[in-house]
Amino acid sequence: MSATSDVDFSRIALLEAIRSQGKTWDVLAPRYGVTNPNPPWKTSLVAMCDCLGVSGTLPTLDRRRAEDELAQAVYSDVPEPERQLLALVHTMLNRGLVAEEDLASRMRTVRSRLEAV
Amino acid sequence: MSHTHTHGDGGADHSHRAAPMVEEITDFEVLEIAVRELAIEHGLFTAEEHRRFTEWAESIEPAAGSRLVAKAWTDPAFKARVMEDAVKACKEIGIDWAEPTGFGTPSDYMHLVVLEDTPTLHHVIVCTLCSCYPRPLLGMSPEWYRTTNYRRRLVRWPRQVLAEFGLILPPEVEVRVEDSNQKCRFMVLPVRPAGTENWTEEQLAEIVTRDCMIGVALPRPGRTADVHPVHKARRPVHSSPQHGEAAQ
Repeated sequence: MSATSDVDFSRIALLEAIRSQGKTWDVLAPRYGVTNPNPPWKTSLVAMCDCLGVSGTLPTLDRRRAEDELAQAVYSDVPEPERQLLALVHTMLNRGLVAEEDLASRMRTVRSRLEAV
Repeated sequence: MSHTHTHGDGGADHSHRAAPMVEEITDFEVLEIAVRELAIEHGLFTAEEHRRFTEWAESIEPAAGSRLVAKAWTDPAFKARVMEDAVKACKEIGIDWAEPTGFGTPSDYMHLVVLEDTPTLHHVIVCTLCSCYPRPLLGMSPEWYRTTNYRRRLVRWPRQVLAEFGLILPPEVEVRVEDSNQKCRFMVLPVRPAGTENWTEEQLAEIVTRDCMIGVALPRPGRTADVHPVHKARRPVHSSPQHGEAAQ
């Protein structure tokens, strides 16, 4: 693991807001009597990492190094796999692959879609 | 939009209860969907590529590695082929390292070395750099394998770390830690345990768990699942003085 880093450890408001809710799978699963150790989005997250790696957009080694450093410096109190998700998005925001305001807007759209009856 | 569906049971009452599920939508779930949709819209990857990787990730499991070990234990010619060219030998048990892209995945380079244990040599694998893991054979890596705690400490104090998994090796057994890298994957071929003579490949495969192929456990008759001991803290910290202890 490298001693030097190009990772920006500045807190990101959108991700801090999500983290502060504390709605991680290890909290919610027992509350609902669910025994699956991983949330349903875990595999999709892994596939997203693979897709970014295979295209060269976010090489696997760069992503994992950033994840390690962010896990230690910023998201140490977040369990897996939420920590992996926050670190990935943090890295994508740092690299300008997505913009924070676009992501916040899309999250509102996605939530309204999921909550539609 | 109205919607109805049936289960092909003629409308009979269901006697079974649905499995419980988390009945709230968290922002983590929403975040994963939102960032993926934006990535696809920005052309970072396609929805089809993501679907293909997801399908592949859901198809891999340690059972493939268990089958390889069981077959190697019972078929010396197959074992020789495994040691000669493990990726090629994997095709004999239905595992193609080129999936799902035709050239593997960025996390699973198509070079595999199988490390054969002997009564005096024990291997254990790690990836100190990140979390390289032989996913086509062992499925998704366990969370502890990805932690810096395991990665940093195993290479320094392998016997101590193995003991934390409940594996205490006698001093006459050499422990060799193999560090995966960006171009090569490893898995452990453990020693076939005594008491398994005349077992079928299926019986043998049942005792070759994921941890045995990482090298943090040994196969033995009757052990068919990876269950890690939970070590209680020796001096638990209480929020208030108990049992007459005075606050410091």
